[in-house]
Amino acid sequence: MDRRSLLKLSSAAAALQMLPGFVFAQATGSFRVGSLCPVTGAGSPYGPGMQQAIRMAVDEVNAAGGAAGVKLELFSEDSQTKPDAAVLAAKKLIEVNKVQALLGTWASGVTLAVMPLTDAAGIIEMNTSGAPAISTLDTKDLVWRYQATNDRFGQAFAEICKKNGYKRPATMAFNNASGLGNTQGFTKAWEAAGGKVVAHVTYEPNRPSYRSELQKILDAKPDVIVTGSYLPDTTIILREWFQSGTPVKWIMPGWAASPDLVKALGNEVTEGIISVDSVSNEKSKSYAHYDELYTKATGKSGSTNVYAAMTYDMVVVLALAIEAAGPGATTEQVNAKIREVGNPGGTPVFTFAEGKALLAKKEKINYEGASSKLDFDKYGDVTPDFGVYVIEKGEFVRKDVVSIPPGV
Amino acid sequence: MIQFLNLLINGITEGLVVALPALAMTLVMGVNRFPNAATGDFMTTGAFMAVGAQLLGVQSLVLATFLAALITAMLSAASYELIFKKLARQPMIASLLAAIGLGFLLRSVISFFAGHDQRTFNVPLVRAWNFDGIRILPTDLAIAGAALGCLAVVFILLYRTSFGRQLRAVSDNPDLARASGIRARKLMIGLWLLVGVLSAIGGVLLGMKAVVMPELGWDHLIPAFAAMVLGGIGSPVGAVIGALLMSVAQELSVPLLGPSYKLVLSFGVLALVLMVRPAGLMGRVDLIR
Amino acid sequence: MTAYLQAIGIVSLIYALLALGLNLQFGLTRLVNFGVVAFFAIGAYTSALLALAGVPLLLSFAAATVLAGISALPLGLLSLRLREDYLAIVTLGFSEAVRITLQQEEWLTKGVQGLPGIPKVFASLGPAGSDTALFFILVAATALVAWGTLRLTRSPLGRLLRAIGDDEPALMALGKNPTKFKVQIFMVGAALSGLAGAFYAHFITFISPEQFLPLVTFYVWMGLIMGGSGSVRGALGGAVLLMIFLEGSRFIKDFIPGVSEVQMASVRLAVVGLALILVTMYRPNGLFGKTTT
Repeated sequence: MDRRSLLKLSSAAAALQMLPGFVFAQATGSFRVGSLCPVTGAGSPYGPGMQQAIRMAVDEVNAAGGAAGVKLELFSEDSQTKPDAAVLAAKKLIEVNKVQALLGTWASGVTLAVMPLTDAAGIIEMNTSGAPAISTLDTKDLVWRYQATNDRFGQAFAEICKKNGYKRPATMAFNNASGLGNTQGFTKAWEAAGGKVVAHVTYEPNRPSYRSELQKILDAKPDVIVTGSYLPDTTIILREWFQSGTPVKWIMPGWAASPDLVKALGNEVTEGIISVDSVSNEKSKSYAHYDELYTKATGKSGSTNVYAAMTYDMVVVLALAIEAAGPGATTEQVNAKIREVGNPGGTPVFTFAEGKALLAKKEKINYEGASSKLDFDKYGDVTPDFGVYVIEKGEFVRKDVVSIPPGV
Repeated sequence: MIQFLNLLINGITEGLVVALPALAMTLVMGVNRFPNAATGDFMTTGAFMAVGAQLLGVQSLVLATFLAALITAMLSAASYELIFKKLARQPMIASLLAAIGLGFLLRSVISFFAGHDQRTFNVPLVRAWNFDGIRILPTDLAIAGAALGCLAVVFILLYRTSFGRQLRAVSDNPDLARASGIRARKLMIGLWLLVGVLSAIGGVLLGMKAVVMPELGWDHLIPAFAAMVLGGIGSPVGAVIGALLMSVAQELSVPLLGPSYKLVLSFGVLALVLMVRPAGLMGRVDLIR
Repeated sequence: MTAYLQAIGIVSLIYALLALGLNLQFGLTRLVNFGVVAFFAIGAYTSALLALAGVPLLLSFAAATVLAGISALPLGLLSLRLREDYLAIVTLGFSEAVRITLQQEEWLTKGVQGLPGIPKVFASLGPAGSDTALFFILVAATALVAWGTLRLTRSPLGRLLRAIGDDEPALMALGKNPTKFKVQIFMVGAALSGLAGAFYAHFITFISPEQFLPLVTFYVWMGLIMGGSGSVRGALGGAVLLMIFLEGSRFIKDFIPGVSEVQMASVRLAVVGLALILVTMYRPNGLFGKTTT
């Protein structure tokens, strides 16, 4: 290598070395939180909102005086919804920013790639992913899942179908772990109860049209179509379905059947769609509180992004656990308090400030979150109730609540 | 039979939408000799400009598309002047990579200002016409019609005007064209304006069928590229035929292979055709090694 | 901090291996391979599946390399007949076909669920030790490949290969048959990509088909061209450059106030795009390439 190129190469390397030195003041006296949301990539409809929800929760906690006497310090990175990009981002957060908790991973692939890193570093991980493997690989009990597992969702779908008297369901799944997971969970539960799924199709992302896939389903004459889908593809499918004129009912997860769907398609198309979402008590104060903050921060209703409610709760639960563990606690000790502040056995509280006040009086609390009641099972997975909403004239009307027993 | 016809109709509609960017790419490929990987992001730009126009109060989608096409055309011409003209003497790879970079840049500017939310066009939803099980969506018909109209105009331009004649001359034989005194610069600007318009309209049509997001064009780049190659690089007619053939083949394969292997099928078709005709369906034989 | 830089180092070296493989194919014989990620994926899945089944890592790495190389044979043969831009799309199509097959054939690859829990090299050293071990193994492997490529370039065979790239009709007139060499080089390049894939799988420990999109191929090309194709130095330097842009842009947000965290993602993409345009326009031989054409 000649001298010129050697010079160029070493100055480039030196520049890279210098950059981080500027920016990472090791702030002592703060609890460092990392956020790793899918700001770009497949999760981009949800990632920015998720990241902002974390930011607003952190600000709220700090405004209330922090937790256990320290402020929360937030470091945000974009996972790009890609496992390899997420690994590097996680490494940066863990090694450079020295975060003590990593929140907001959305795609199962991202969570699965990042878990070994957080486990090795002994830090808390909180995610909204659906894959079953996350529960089984969580050997150190440091990983907390704020979204119902695919299986649970599928069971909820099956329960709803049964209650509504549907006999001939068909399924449509977005070809990724979560989409397929949801419909497979449904099929498993439905067939276990003796039913039969009349047709299934797995469709590819980023296609301009799903007419042939939809046609295959409609040809089997189902009375209801259960989907594991996301907003963009659902928009396309519904638009094509409506224009085809075939009557059929739809059951979808809340991240697909959201106000944005109504906005895109209008009231007529979306009339009667059943949207399923994990939920806490109706008119719960925590949801209203989160909604208010979210609307102020983003200009959109909190119901447009169910994952943002989950990430908001992540920060609140974490802060309450820090508070409960007391000043100077280790990450492990904080981790041990998470079930304590989230699970039944204490006074229900609905905001961080409320919880902090009661903890100061040495009382036990049970934070009922904005995204669900946040009761964690032995795997660290939430076991939420599911809210069944029907879209009527563009509004989401809550019709029912479905409970899946935690042991399942 | 009914299923076959329905799949055929799906394929043709999709094919017509892909035909526009495929045509845009083949024009640039034939004249400037590189695959313009920014075509997809020009489509996205066009779609977003039209969405923006509608948000600013322009009711008519046609007018919004017109404005979008204007802006995209200027951007496209600018990109030629500032970037690709300077890379003309470099190997193809350099222009290709610069085009990829341009695509990233366009996408990032759009997402910076418009965010990552999905957007849709205000198009009235109409029920399909059902002929004994054969379904035709009026919107699809409108889209197909617009695409066909666009293609017709382009072909008239290419084969009935002196602009088109000169373009084809340069595409066939740049040295001879230069020697005979065709004024390259104006020609190039005209070409790139045209490419911009085509991409913008393609983007709007795609957005009408699907949803408008920053990744819109990039996701459809590869099908357009494949269609261009299948049809024969540099051949406008080939690009359209390639696009139609690929989309129809994909749709017809669904009952046999399922929706996920669609893309694999089209590449398989492409590979097969190229083995028999290495220059593509309508490409010229002397272009191969 | 060192662990983070080490991680960047590991990823850079993986990209370096990919770039060296591509450099053999394109730099020496002008074969436009836009399917690099296909062999990367084949290598990654081969090693991962074998390792998860209990096969020792040395063997699984070897199998990954060999299988990736062999799988390049059909494409290699096809490449002889096609002009470069046609070859580009066919190789791209091949890589998509590989990805979709990996995605659909769940019985073999677990499909979209992916393969978690892939064993790390020298796992008994613990995660940090394992990463350090991997880093040094990669350094050694890359150095070996770089040295091998240099020897190849300077050998009589290498000179012949450069000749193929530059003037095939003349070669054939001289009675030399470049066909066999071209295919062999294509396969060796693919084998290197497969080896890189194995390293990748055992570093990230979770692989799924969506990690093997054409974008990876584009990144490798970016690195190679920015560094300067046709030289080992260019391939290595390009990989480093690529990482600087991809990772370095992450730190920009600390310097630009008033921009939301969400918008920073757009800024990062803009920086990469702008860098691509500027480098191709003003440094056509790449930043580390030869100064004469």
